[in-house]
Amino acid sequence: MPKTPKLSHHRRALLIAAGLAVTAVPFANAQGNEDIVIGGSIPMTGVFAFAGVGINAGIADYVKIVNDAGGIKGRKLRYVPEDTGYKVDVSVAAFKKITSQNKVNLYYGDSTGFSKTINPELERNGQILMAGASFATELNDSAKYPNQFLVGPDYTEQIGILLRHIAKEKPGAKVAFVYSDSEFGRDPIEASEAAAKKLGLTVPVKLMTPPGSVDVSTEVIKLRRAAPDYTIFHGYILAPIPEFVQQGKQMGMTSKWMGTFWTMDSSTVMKMGEGADGFMGVMPYRYYYDTSAKAPMLDKIRALRPEYQSTAYTQGFLTAMLFTEAARRTLDAGKPLDGKNLKASLNTIKDFDTGGLIGMPITVKGNSIPVGRVYKADMKAQKMVPASDWISLN
Amino acid sequence: MRIGTLKQSYTADAALFDSRTQKVWLVVGAALLVLFPFIASDYWLYLACLVAINVASATGLNILTGYTGLVSLGQAAFMGLGAYTVAIMQTRLGTPFLFNIAAGGIVAMLGGLVVGIPSLRVKGLYLAIATIAASFIAHFLFANLKLTGGTSGLSLPPAQFFGLPLDTSFRLYWVIVPVMLLMVLGAANLFRTRVGRAFIAIRDRDISAEVLGIPLLRYKLLSFGLSSFYAGVAGGLWAYFFRVVTPESFPLLMSIFFLAAIIVGGMGTILGGIFGAVFMTMVPELLKLVVDLLPGGVEMTVFLSPVRTVVFGLLIVGFLVFEPHGLAEVWRRIRRFFHLWPFRN
Amino acid sequence: MDWAYLFEIALTGIAGGGIYALAALAFVLVYKATRVVNIAIGEMLMAGAYLFFTFAASFSLPIWLAALGSVIGTGLLGAVIERTVIRPLLGEPPISVFMVTVGLASILVGLVEIIWTADQRRLPEFLPNAPVMIGDAFLAPKIAYGASIAVVLIGMVLLLFRFWRGGVALRATASDQAAAYSMGINVPRVFSLAWVASAMIAAVAGVIVGAIGGISSSMGVFGLSVLVVVIVGGLDSVLGALVGGLFIGLVEALAGAYLGGEYKLLATFIVLVLVLMVRPYGLFGTHEIERL
Repeated sequence: MPKTPKLSHHRRALLIAAGLAVTAVPFANAQGNEDIVIGGSIPMTGVFAFAGVGINAGIADYVKIVNDAGGIKGRKLRYVPEDTGYKVDVSVAAFKKITSQNKVNLYYGDSTGFSKTINPELERNGQILMAGASFATELNDSAKYPNQFLVGPDYTEQIGILLRHIAKEKPGAKVAFVYSDSEFGRDPIEASEAAAKKLGLTVPVKLMTPPGSVDVSTEVIKLRRAAPDYTIFHGYILAPIPEFVQQGKQMGMTSKWMGTFWTMDSSTVMKMGEGADGFMGVMPYRYYYDTSAKAPMLDKIRALRPEYQSTAYTQGFLTAMLFTEAARRTLDAGKPLDGKNLKASLNTIKDFDTGGLIGMPITVKGNSIPVGRVYKADMKAQKMVPASDWISLN
Repeated sequence: MRIGTLKQSYTADAALFDSRTQKVWLVVGAALLVLFPFIASDYWLYLACLVAINVASATGLNILTGYTGLVSLGQAAFMGLGAYTVAIMQTRLGTPFLFNIAAGGIVAMLGGLVVGIPSLRVKGLYLAIATIAASFIAHFLFANLKLTGGTSGLSLPPAQFFGLPLDTSFRLYWVIVPVMLLMVLGAANLFRTRVGRAFIAIRDRDISAEVLGIPLLRYKLLSFGLSSFYAGVAGGLWAYFFRVVTPESFPLLMSIFFLAAIIVGGMGTILGGIFGAVFMTMVPELLKLVVDLLPGGVEMTVFLSPVRTVVFGLLIVGFLVFEPHGLAEVWRRIRRFFHLWPFRN
Repeated sequence: MDWAYLFEIALTGIAGGGIYALAALAFVLVYKATRVVNIAIGEMLMAGAYLFFTFAASFSLPIWLAALGSVIGTGLLGAVIERTVIRPLLGEPPISVFMVTVGLASILVGLVEIIWTADQRRLPEFLPNAPVMIGDAFLAPKIAYGASIAVVLIGMVLLLFRFWRGGVALRATASDQAAAYSMGINVPRVFSLAWVASAMIAAVAGVIVGAIGGISSSMGVFGLSVLVVVIVGGLDSVLGALVGGLFIGLVEALAGAYLGGEYKLLATFIVLVLVLMVRPYGLFGTHEIERL
């Protein structure tokens, strides 16, 4: 009879221990508390990690500021995040876990996919107002997504701001779209093409790149043939934009290059290299190093965090600010904190001063805040400088 | 200690559960399953439903890869076929949910038959790569057809059971777990029949099987069809559970997950499919627990996702190197220990 | 019919295919010698690119030293992988070894994310910048130089296989292990050699791919296209890797240009299925005869 090797005893013991550990986890105990809970499915690892870490810090910092000032009518804010790695099923699991262990009234979601998946659950739950990292056009629909809102303009509005800028700078220009083959990328393209035509611009070509594609030279050749005056990239963070810009310049293209929110963080654009000098894009917030106007909140952030904070940080910070404002207005009106009331309070926000984080006072009429500004990259100064005034699409 | 199991008829010999202890444990298990939803929190119910769906799909893959020896990396694509079918039927036709799920299984089965056609010409790893190709073609269709809602996918209203919407994990548990149990029982029974034995013969040596008179193409196609039916039903349950189906919901990584699940659990055993699916679904939770317990707070969570990836890979490599027969083998050893006690060998 | 456009597209497609061919070569080397399908080839490529990034950007070494460091480092990685993970599974069914490489791929991706985080980065510029002109057609310089390096390397490997003792030993082990043993060839050493060589070539391919498209922890997905190339060319044929690579590069470019970006992957996979149906062992692969 073969002797069972010693290793298998250890392995067995390990497996039994692991099994027991799993089953020994206490079943949920919801903590009913005076705290107002902000739950978060945050992509702190994975492809969106640079944004997730920033968002997490932004929300946490604002919560700290509010709590240090005494909270909202004496009630403290509590921020409960979970890492999701930017995967929808992990996000949903995190949501279920956080909402089963806490009484959650405010939630931050990490992606378009998550926001859409969780919507029916949000409606059934009825207690939560949700915002997130997504600026998808589809979410900007108060009828279909009554418990959600976007902390800025949706992607179609963002490209709309860029198109308005183009129409002013060069009427009748040719604008090419280069976007990624994903939900993120495809979201605004159709509506943006229509918007371009309405502004008298032509769209000679729309190029879709497969996700994770390395070699874009065929696309660059097609782009060059279309000879656009402007090229708008959407659906990417960094790659493959630098390749397009570099090869395009090498082949003698004279197009100006533009991007949307998630490309436009200062550190991302600076990674594009010298060839991307003059890269433009839309950004609804002020950059960390912006000292062009009075911005008390920005000063506070700079005092709290001496090193550069990304626009993702600002996004998280602003989300927490709007959450707080909605909760405050609901409580001031003497209403209970549930999804409907919070959203209604959010929609009463008119000409609200964000402390300079957004360049003009904002109004949250529907599900988005269609305000933004066109910035240009100055590679020598390693900064993003404004290229237009603050544009509001309201 | 088990001394002897005497059987007096062929039916008794072929029975699935032959000892009294097994039957007692079965009753206890059933009682626990019935009791579970009343004592568990929403989060654990959610996990339980997810585990059940994964068990159903892993069992299907086990039929194809573990028992018939045809490596397939298309399980997620077949689940996608089932899920989309259910989504389309629920949103456009409003037919009852059990009907939709069955239809989803059938559509996935048809897909499986199509994918299985090359299996006579290509074998082994070439077949695996052909299934990867099939999975990409399916993804392309999901993302580009108007019918499937393109990249934004489809969202569907909850299943209706005589007017009662099945929109919580608690309610869905009562649909998902019985369906899963039926499917697992069906698979276990399959391998007591001639068809099941033919599958095993094909896995061991398909040329010899053909010499013995087993028509290869027919049985290989049957295996593909069955396993994709299982995947389709699991996909349909998935659709009712998450209520949003997008092309990104069924990536190649999911197929790899299922393949890893049956390897870790033990290929070629029904128990292996169950163990593997449960283990692989619960490992991320266990990891989260461990990371929570470690000192370091939020900074540690930054490592959670890559650590999860590394652990996933380590599990596959570890089990293949040290325990190629998987958790089922470990379980068998535990059982043998108890059967032989107080003797050692 | 715009011939100039077609020529331009075809040119860039074939050049891009040269890089596929290089990665396919790494794959074929391992398969030829050890009969292992290395799904982790994309991740080994990624490891090479990240090592180069660390040496060139974080340590600021000169480019040639960084490249050398990356190649040697990845070669070491290949040796370690072969010893710890592949060697113990020597007699196991091919599905097991295949799955081990799948697990390996996951481990490599996770390790890269832990050490370098999942952010996308760009490699420091080291390829010349002036566009390459063939007639009227533009060719992006990175692609042109990358393809040239690839072709040179493939040529070198083909020659080595024919004339160098090590190359002959590799071919001998590939065709009949038992006979190679009896001829006095140190078969385990040949295995290690194959993996180390494959890893080094993957590193070069990784540096080129990284130079073109930047590096990220999801770079390994490049391995899927390489898989198509080796199936089309033949799992154990070096010439097949070259021809298959150029062919698939061409198909991708044409599909992307005339049909649209979303059809690129679809076209390559349809080609894969067609080839599998007509010539299951690829264009140049050896027909496997199964004996009872």
